[in-house]
Amino acid sequence: MSSASSDAPLLSPQLLSRLERLELVSRKVFRGRLKGERRSRRKGQSVEFADFRNYVPGDDLRFLDWNLYARLDKLFLKLFLEEEDLHFWALVDVSQSMDFGTPNKLHYAKQLAAALGFIALVRADRVQIEALSSSRHASGPVLRGRRSLGRMCDYLASLPAKDNVPLAEGVRNFRLRSSGKGILVLLTDLLDKSGYETALSMLAAERMDVYVIHILSPEELEPNLAGDLVLVDAEDGQNAEITVSSPLLKRYQRALHAFLDGARGFCARRGIVYLSANTAIPVEDIVTRYLRRRGLVR
Amino acid sequence: MSVLNTLLWWQWMLLGIVPLAIFLLYFLKLKRQPVKVPSTLLWSRAVEDLHVNTIWQRLRRSLLLFLQLLIVLFIMFALLRPGWQGSDLSDDRYILLIDNSASMSATDQTPTRLHEAKQRALAIVDQLQPGDAAMVIAFSDQAQVVQAFTDSRSILRRHIERIAPSSRPTNARDALQAASGLSRGAGARPPDSPAAEESLPATLLLLSDGAFPAITDVPLTNLAARFLPIGRDEVENVGIVAFSSDRHPGPPERLQAFCRLFNSGSQDATVRLELYLNDISVDVVELTVPAGREKGWQFELPDLEEARLRLVMLPDDSLSLDNQAHAVLNRPRRARVLLVTPGDPSLQVALQTEQVAELADVTLAAPNVLNDERHQTLAASGAFDLVIFDRSQPVQMPQANTLFLGALPTTTHWNWRPVAGPPTLIDVDRVHPLTQLLDMSYVKIAEGHVLLPPQGSTLLFESLGGPLFAVAPREGFEDAVLGFPLQTSEDGTIVPNTNWPRRPSFPVFLYNAVRYLGGSRFDAVNTSIRPGETYTVSSTLGNEPLTVVTPTGTRHPISRDGSGNFICTDTDALGIYEIQADDGHVIRRFAVNLLDSLESDLQPRRSLELGPDTVVGVRSLEARRRERWQWLLLGAIVLLMLEWYIYHRRVYV
Repeated sequence: MSSASSDAPLLSPQLLSRLERLELVSRKVFRGRLKGERRSRRKGQSVEFADFRNYVPGDDLRFLDWNLYARLDKLFLKLFLEEEDLHFWALVDVSQSMDFGTPNKLHYAKQLAAALGFIALVRADRVQIEALSSSRHASGPVLRGRRSLGRMCDYLASLPAKDNVPLAEGVRNFRLRSSGKGILVLLTDLLDKSGYETALSMLAAERMDVYVIHILSPEELEPNLAGDLVLVDAEDGQNAEITVSSPLLKRYQRALHAFLDGARGFCARRGIVYLSANTAIPVEDIVTRYLRRRGLVR
Repeated sequence: MSVLNTLLWWQWMLLGIVPLAIFLLYFLKLKRQPVKVPSTLLWSRAVEDLHVNTIWQRLRRSLLLFLQLLIVLFIMFALLRPGWQGSDLSDDRYILLIDNSASMSATDQTPTRLHEAKQRALAIVDQLQPGDAAMVIAFSDQAQVVQAFTDSRSILRRHIERIAPSSRPTNARDALQAASGLSRGAGARPPDSPAAEESLPATLLLLSDGAFPAITDVPLTNLAARFLPIGRDEVENVGIVAFSSDRHPGPPERLQAFCRLFNSGSQDATVRLELYLNDISVDVVELTVPAGREKGWQFELPDLEEARLRLVMLPDDSLSLDNQAHAVLNRPRRARVLLVTPGDPSLQVALQTEQVAELADVTLAAPNVLNDERHQTLAASGAFDLVIFDRSQPVQMPQANTLFLGALPTTTHWNWRPVAGPPTLIDVDRVHPLTQLLDMSYVKIAEGHVLLPPQGSTLLFESLGGPLFAVAPREGFEDAVLGFPLQTSEDGTIVPNTNWPRRPSFPVFLYNAVRYLGGSRFDAVNTSIRPGETYTVSSTLGNEPLTVVTPTGTRHPISRDGSGNFICTDTDALGIYEIQADDGHVIRRFAVNLLDSLESDLQPRRSLELGPDTVVGVRSLEARRRERWQWLLLGAIVLLMLEWYIYHRRVYV
């Protein structure tokens, strides 16, 4: 088990140069807050025609449709779609179960959050890094623009692995302190004894573009244990006495695969994009290959 | 099985703590190493699944405990050096000679001596070490290699158990020669050949009651002989050792049966003899036979042409095979004799005695009949049993026995040379049936020839110059040749050449000749044989096919041998055998009896003369303690390896 605080930077210069060429892709069209590069449902100033309305005194005469006046002898105003920004949230599970593995799962999650956040910042999207916490008020900073990269990385680095809040409560608190819709990437190991179903159902109900990156370390995927042990749960301190044996290891693998399959199936039924990530796989591969394949980046 | 205590009491106390400590260590709370994991969520699910098989879980934990306790138990048992009393089998090759002769059917050992011998042989086989080889030879009057050298104990046991008793007498010579031959000549064969395996030194174990004479002329090279006598001491047994019948020669004619009993016990025995004539009891007598002595008895019976006699001795004793004897009297068959002579009154008169007339029909013929084609045909067809040629020779030898008086057979095998001066008899074979009971004293011969008989001849009269009378076989027949004539011719006058016709031995000689050469010897002589011996039926008695019916009722065809006689070889059963012609009528009977004083003497021998040494019998081989603690230690090592494997490979039931 390695410590959560890693001296290694979250994003290497090489990774940054690759990420600059990417952009986040949303499967849905969301309403933004500021003018950005994304199409919005709101009518505004852009080159994309949206609709007509009757002219009323005070409207800008430049948007009158003279062809229509010539035909109908009435004055109509052309309406255009507004270009607004995309909201991107990275929701990081900072429970103690994430502070495990080589590479460390929490550090890995921070790296993924930083990489995706950087892609959004480069495209002038609105980025907010959040941690699953028991607090309804403490939220991460809102970030825009490339210049916010450092601030984003600092914030991520400062997130400790100590808040053992159940997933459902963490997601509920997140929704209470945050508003808006956009892309949300949940970075978690889903190892919640009260289950992940409630949390994911809440996220799916928000009609956001939800992605779940299920992070597990190689030690969890292929445990190398032997002998008579008492396993101590990192989050709740519960003990499980085991005598490691070949049958037990087989049953663990069976339980693990059932867990993974269950999460995948649950997400698929709710329109949530699910990705299982082994921390042994480089972050760059996750972003440029796996997430690209799932349509989150291009 | 016994054990030897190799540790002191306090050492046993310390050793006893070991299994207790192992037991306690397993059931004290296991000290588990704590390991921090991100979550026990998945582990709990896996362990819950495992808890379904609770019993197997307990067994899994207990398996290593069980194995370790078992290892300690094995070691403790090995320290006790368990063992048992075995026999000293320090060699690696053994030859088991098992006596299955008639005396081994004695019941002084339950159920029989042979059974006891087989049991002891089986016990020896059970104590063979891995790599030891043994062979088994069963012997009575012949040796039979029951099983050649093998190290397979199961094969040896199977063949030993199959050894069956016989009613034959004992002749250990063949068996000792076979055993000696197998152990001789080491190095003469390739080392890896099976024969080489069988020619290495070996220990000879003789399981017998020793009822055979000393055998000192068989070298036991490479054999260490040991004699294990079978049978109890002080066994009482009376046996019939002789039984025969004959017609009394004088008037009134009657039948006589002779028997002789032998008491091999240490006390006088009173027995009852019952004589059955043609299965009807005709006489009973009570006799007391002194200990260690023989006693004879003679039964008088009315004369019969043919008779079947059975002598039964009661009460039963340890050996039943010698409590009965059989004898037969066959209908005498008259021989067909042809006398070819130019004329010799003494010869003709001697052949006309009552005794000869009882045996044969004598036909007289002159020498010119030899050129008669009809006679030649008759002679060639076996119309005669005996042809006597007095100073004459046939054109072709007849299909009959012949007696030449002063002439040679018409074959190239016989020759003679004249003797200068009167031949002087110096020796007469009085054992041969032709010349038995002959007193040739005062017999003078004027002239004669010394015979040059063919190979295989028997010389009956010897003179200073050589044989004067000899008999030789010829293709199933016999030719007897007298080197001097009874008469000679001087100046055309017949004069006696010898005074023999005037001696009492002359008619006896002719009687013997008719009886022996005429085929009558098969009638009265050799009507009783020993078990296993062959019985020969004259070729003149009948033509094929002949059938022999054994006392047990089985029927076998018998055929001619090389000499033209019928040979009956299946003579193991005691009793009366019948030889039947094709139409079922009985041609001959003969009896098979044990009649052996050595077999009836049931006192086990204490020592035997085998080869150059006297081998003293031992009741059992030297006792030696046999231990198996090595196997226990090996078992403990195997269990240790199994325990290591289970522990390291996480193998559980």
